[in-house]
Amino acid sequence: MKKLGLNIFMSCVLITAISCEKSLDKSPYNAISDAVAFSTADRCLLALNGVYDAAQSSPYTDGSVRGYPFGAANIEQGDARGEDVINIAAFFQITYQATYNATTANNVGHWGALYALINKANISIDGFKTAADNSVLTQEVASQYQAECRFLRAMAHHEALTLFARPYADGNGSKLGVPYRDFAIASSSAADQIKETPRGTVAEAYQKVLADLDFAETNLPASVSPSTVRATKAAAIALKMRVKLHMGDWAGVIAEGAKLVPAGAGPYVSPIGAWALTDSPDGAFTDNSSKESIFSIRNHELDNTGVNGALPSMFGPANSGARGLLAISPIIFNDTRWLEDDKRRSLLTVSGTNSNGGTTFNYFTKKYTSYTNRADFAPQIRYAEVLLTLAEAEARQASGVSERALNLLNAVRDRALEDPATQSFKASDFAGKNDLIAAILFERRVEFLCEGKRWGDIHRNALDPDFNVGGIPAKYQNASQGASIYGFGVPINASQAAIPYSDFKFIWPIPANEVIQNPVIEQNPNY
Amino acid sequence: MKKNVLLLLAMLLFGLGASYAQSRTVTGTVTSSEDGSPLPGVSVMIKGTARGAQTGADGTYRLEGLSGSEVLVFQYLGFNSKEESVGSKSVINVTLRMSESFLDELVVVGYGTQQKTAFTGSASKVDVKQISNLMTASIDKQLSGRATGVQVTNSGGLVNSPARILIRGINSLTQGTGPLIVVDGIPMISGNLAAVGNSNALGDINPADIESMDILKDGSATAIYGSRAANGVILITTKRGSKGSAKVTYEGFLGFSNPVKKFDLLNAEEFVTISNEKFTNAGQTPRASLNPGVDTDWQAEALINNAPVHSHTLSVQGGNDKTTYYLSLNYSDQKGVIISNFNKAYRVRANLNHDVNKWLKMGNNITISRQENGDQNNGANSLSGAIASALRMLPNVSPYNPNHPSGFNINYPNGNSMDPGTNTTSVDDNFTNVAFTTRNNKFRSDLYRIINNTFLEVSPLANLKVRSQFSFDLFNDYSYQGYSPLHGDGYGTATGGTNGLVYNASQNIIRYAWQNYANYNFSFDNSHNFFLTAGHEIQQDRTKWHAAQGTNISDVFFINENLISGTASVQGISGSISESGFESLFGRINYDFKNKYFLQASVRRDGQSSLAPHTRYGVFPGFSAGWRPSQESFWSASEFLNRWIPEAKIKASYAKVGNSLGGFPYLSTYGARPYGNLSGIAVSTIGNPDLRWETSVKYDVGVELGIFENRFSLTADYFVNDVNDLVYNVPTPLSAGVPGNSIAQNIATLQNKGVELMLEGLIMRKKDFSWNFNVNYSNVKNKITSLYSIGGEPVEFIQNGSYNIIQVGEPMNILHGNIWAGVNSANGNPMYYKADGTLIQQNFDRSATGKSIGAYYESTSTSSGEMGAATSLTFEDRKKLGQSTPTWFGSFTNNFGYKGFGLEVMLRYSGGNHIMNYTRQEALLSQNFHNNGKEILDRWTTPGQITDVPKLYYGQGNNINQTQTANSRFVEKGDYLRLQNIVLSYSLNPSLLTKTAFSSVRLFVQGQNLAVWTPYTGVDPDNISSLGLDQAVSPQVRTISFGVGLGL
Repeated sequence: MKKLGLNIFMSCVLITAISCEKSLDKSPYNAISDAVAFSTADRCLLALNGVYDAAQSSPYTDGSVRGYPFGAANIEQGDARGEDVINIAAFFQITYQATYNATTANNVGHWGALYALINKANISIDGFKTAADNSVLTQEVASQYQAECRFLRAMAHHEALTLFARPYADGNGSKLGVPYRDFAIASSSAADQIKETPRGTVAEAYQKVLADLDFAETNLPASVSPSTVRATKAAAIALKMRVKLHMGDWAGVIAEGAKLVPAGAGPYVSPIGAWALTDSPDGAFTDNSSKESIFSIRNHELDNTGVNGALPSMFGPANSGARGLLAISPIIFNDTRWLEDDKRRSLLTVSGTNSNGGTTFNYFTKKYTSYTNRADFAPQIRYAEVLLTLAEAEARQASGVSERALNLLNAVRDRALEDPATQSFKASDFAGKNDLIAAILFERRVEFLCEGKRWGDIHRNALDPDFNVGGIPAKYQNASQGASIYGFGVPINASQAAIPYSDFKFIWPIPANEVIQNPVIEQNPNY
Repeated sequence: MKKNVLLLLAMLLFGLGASYAQSRTVTGTVTSSEDGSPLPGVSVMIKGTARGAQTGADGTYRLEGLSGSEVLVFQYLGFNSKEESVGSKSVINVTLRMSESFLDELVVVGYGTQQKTAFTGSASKVDVKQISNLMTASIDKQLSGRATGVQVTNSGGLVNSPARILIRGINSLTQGTGPLIVVDGIPMISGNLAAVGNSNALGDINPADIESMDILKDGSATAIYGSRAANGVILITTKRGSKGSAKVTYEGFLGFSNPVKKFDLLNAEEFVTISNEKFTNAGQTPRASLNPGVDTDWQAEALINNAPVHSHTLSVQGGNDKTTYYLSLNYSDQKGVIISNFNKAYRVRANLNHDVNKWLKMGNNITISRQENGDQNNGANSLSGAIASALRMLPNVSPYNPNHPSGFNINYPNGNSMDPGTNTTSVDDNFTNVAFTTRNNKFRSDLYRIINNTFLEVSPLANLKVRSQFSFDLFNDYSYQGYSPLHGDGYGTATGGTNGLVYNASQNIIRYAWQNYANYNFSFDNSHNFFLTAGHEIQQDRTKWHAAQGTNISDVFFINENLISGTASVQGISGSISESGFESLFGRINYDFKNKYFLQASVRRDGQSSLAPHTRYGVFPGFSAGWRPSQESFWSASEFLNRWIPEAKIKASYAKVGNSLGGFPYLSTYGARPYGNLSGIAVSTIGNPDLRWETSVKYDVGVELGIFENRFSLTADYFVNDVNDLVYNVPTPLSAGVPGNSIAQNIATLQNKGVELMLEGLIMRKKDFSWNFNVNYSNVKNKITSLYSIGGEPVEFIQNGSYNIIQVGEPMNILHGNIWAGVNSANGNPMYYKADGTLIQQNFDRSATGKSIGAYYESTSTSSGEMGAATSLTFEDRKKLGQSTPTWFGSFTNNFGYKGFGLEVMLRYSGGNHIMNYTRQEALLSQNFHNNGKEILDRWTTPGQITDVPKLYYGQGNNINQTQTANSRFVEKGDYLRLQNIVLSYSLNPSLLTKTAFSSVRLFVQGQNLAVWTPYTGVDPDNISSLGLDQAVSPQVRTISFGVGLGL
């Protein structure tokens, strides 16, 4: 009997010994190993969507989703840095009042999210190349996917340049740029490699942005499904126009614009992708994938940028279920150049309560209205921008009042006018070319109100003798509210003083932990 | 039986033989020192012979045929042995003392038990009797101060969260730092695991079911647990039945909890003054004005007084020659001091052991438990965080408004905010009405637990025991979260916003462990004793989880208990699964020579699934040696030593153990990353295929002394832990864009070294009075000894979050920040020192021309308002501000007994650390339209005023207080002395109970956490995170309870 006991024990040992190997041979169920992530064409497409996802929602500093960099944050931050919105509560206060420092979450989060997108794009570029080499993808599809990644990479670097670097106009691009990442970092040795890549100059970075966009233009198709939320040839060209506008390269903008805007007085339809203005000024917002929406970042009720990031949450009035945090400022609202009967006032603004309580009042944008599902796409490039960008370049390039510029400006503005026949601009309305340029710049503020484009215009024109707004412009005091501050032509009271271009706060600091971890990066002065 | 017959025969023979020469007879009575009662069955042997006798039922013995030169040895299990020379005496009465001390105890070690005398490792036995009488939901909460080297922190007063346990310091940067918890031989699932709110898996073990707790601390004691032993091991043994008729006991407690201390906040009048000054100083219109009759204490809206607690345990145990059983039932209900916080537990434990025959035993232990937890948003900065919000709510605003359907002060219909009352705006950031959210938002978890442990033990040879033990541990969590649509985190309307949220998560965590091991002991020459252990263990873990969430709920009615089909128009699902495994072989040899010299060697080879196949296995050896000089003849020859230090042991140990890793850090993986609703994947981890185990090399030397007839015992240990190959998610620059901005690598080494001292014993024992004490002291010094290099260039430090750095030569996670230079008395600006000693000030003077608000300027003195050249305060200017973990800690305990009364008083102390008072920085001194702490009343207002609180300036809190950065202004000492427990008990004299149904009746009153003395200005110096931050956590709880223990 005792022997039996021993036998039982020995068999136990034997059984467990046999099961050993299996007991340690585990693999993850929640994630796909990198060895097989690009092993089928379907997975390659999934990986490409993953790069777009990084554009929509890379982790914020605390790991949460707040729409950094392009799912919402670039728009909110771009407006909060300008004067055409009012920060209502404390949410955007640091950006709004320019009290940021090198550890402020907003700018740290934006920087981190931009480069998270860039690295995912770079890793996927390598993956698509390998997939093509292994005949998993055709060369054509692999090139298209790579072009989409390079489009996003260019867009991210350009965003970083407008926030963390001085404009191109300052010393013709000779100021400190941002590090341009064009290789994948998928191991610790690759991460060490970047410690040998300094910031470089603004001009160097712009050259690389343009190289990426040239590649994108060549390899992207004219149309793609689903439309709007993936990059196309027209999106690459349009982004190139924006980049060249920032460089002050008017001829370059015009050359690119010719690819998307036919000659003549309009209506304009792009020969590439058939992009055109919608009939109504709110057309691009009532339909996320309108014929005007060249490129937007996708949000959906199942995957959006969350209550602490989503465009409808931040820009919408509290009485509609939004948070009422960024209101329209009287600085733009009361401006008589924005005609009182302009349809954009009635269609795209709404009065409502703000985050400060039931009786508090502001005007808000109505561009993002998916207050429950937060499914509004984050618009990045509309055909209206193509037209106004081209208009500005034409106006600046011309010696007098450019008729082409006038036509392009009217194409955008007229659709919002109550009576275009009488209200439309005529050449005689402008004493000289600067008046026309000013009108185009003002039109951009109205047309792109609450689309985050304000900071780009302030930044690129900061040294323009005629069109600068004195650095970070004077603004309404934080949390300004009440019906009395609004009204067509009502005097404005921008009591929060401007911060001059020369002030160090004009550009954001490089995040403190970047400076600590990256020995070759140089902090912006005085941070 | 055979033995006894032989003994008798020998006695007869020797007795007869001797009777010719000698005829002296010695008689006597052996009594217990405890109560003077006679002890039956005491062995009375003549030293150096096999002759002797046993005491009878009346405690008497009789020995005949003595010459007078003999020495009698009195031995009795559980009592200290005693020797008496016969001399000319004919009556030798002896009183034996119970060996509550010290050296005769058993120590539970891995896969077996050992005599404490033979144990050469370092372990602490916790007196479970003292703990299980306390009103506590789980044993960990009461471990503070109970053992040397064991540091237990209850950060905050939540009743459902686990305590943080550190054994001999922090032994890892990123991996687990808590001990392995082994219950009846099986590593149990532990931790804070519920999907919603806090929970404590250790709470499934009813403290009243615990028989003993042994904390293994040094390398040799823990080496048998190999790769999971780096943080020490807590061995819990549960109660078993003993042979005899059934004994039924009932223990019940009823009590009340209150916050020990609350925050000292501004009242309405002070608030109006302070907040309007913030606006005026910033050039803005004041917003606050007094609201007659309204002065709200918002803490009273979130916290309750006299939170009821009660607990009841009924147990029955008994058995016969073959079978013993223990069964207990428990119900406990503890409410926390935050209104929504509670823990309810229903726990059953059944232990059954059966001897099938002489060589086969089997048994089964099972725990079935259900815990219900209630919690709340505890976020330190969350808008609906219970404490975060209570600190910031405006005191001149009422929590209630009868006009809102809910009855609370909420704007209607726009319930995202509160009615500002007489203020022009509501509280900044829309912090939510905490009175509403704590009552209406739900954070619940229902936890079900089954731990079953079956064993079969075979003894094929007399001294060989072969055991096969299989256990199954199931942790099932059903969590629920519900947010009201009316206000707070779930606010919304049918047209927008979250509009109510319901979330259900179901988690299923299982662990199988199968152990097969053998214990074999043998001796030869009566002096060489061997004890061998060898075995094999396999463990498999699996965690599965899924959750469903709905928002835009059709009616507030559906937000109470569970997700209801068809009520949520926006729906989401989530889920995941992971598996891991361990597989091990282990062996141990103990050898002792004449119970004098001891050697132990053990080895364990572990494999774990989380590492790459080529780094997966680790071998962990341990060695120790001991010597009991008190067993040497020179010692017993010395009367002095024999009397004053009858017991002495010196020991030393060395071992290498490991700290296991979770997940698959060696793999680069792509996780699901949908783009909108377009499915996608993206790289989620950059793996490191060369990742290795963290290993810990532990050294220990110690001494154990029994002093003054073993009335006192002194234990002293010195230890060094050298931890190598520490895994750290090495930060990559943000601009690398690596997921998580880090890659796991083995990059660092650290060292913990320290001293542990414990003195305990009996000060006095009179007929009716006794006085025992215990004093213990531990000192743990932690130091980072190396970090990685980049291209041959050693990295000096790593920034760990915003407040701490990990720096070579310094304790881990040292606080690191700016150096405060006080307030400029001329203009109220905050001042700092740069690294080079330059004095600078940060400008908040709007009238200073050409000076930017929030910018730094060089200064000449703290009394001159003059601002020089523009400068900056950068990372390079930061300095170390103190260490984040206490370096010394311990306790004093005194137990008094007088007749039936008992009184235990325990004082606990801790210190050597600094606390970054984040609560002060972020909330109490906020410059937003929030309420503040009283400290802000000292703000600078007039030139020449000397103060520590700068001028107020609305909206500049992030600059004035340097939020998100440590700052010497907010770093305070964390030393304290705490009156941890006073327990007064009374046991009725059994003679009074003879005519009742009870065999024993015990009544007691206990006070827990009664007072704390500290220089720390925050609510409690124990309210710290592992990084030394005090982040607006729930106040600590003082509990007064009354209990009764009944025996049938």
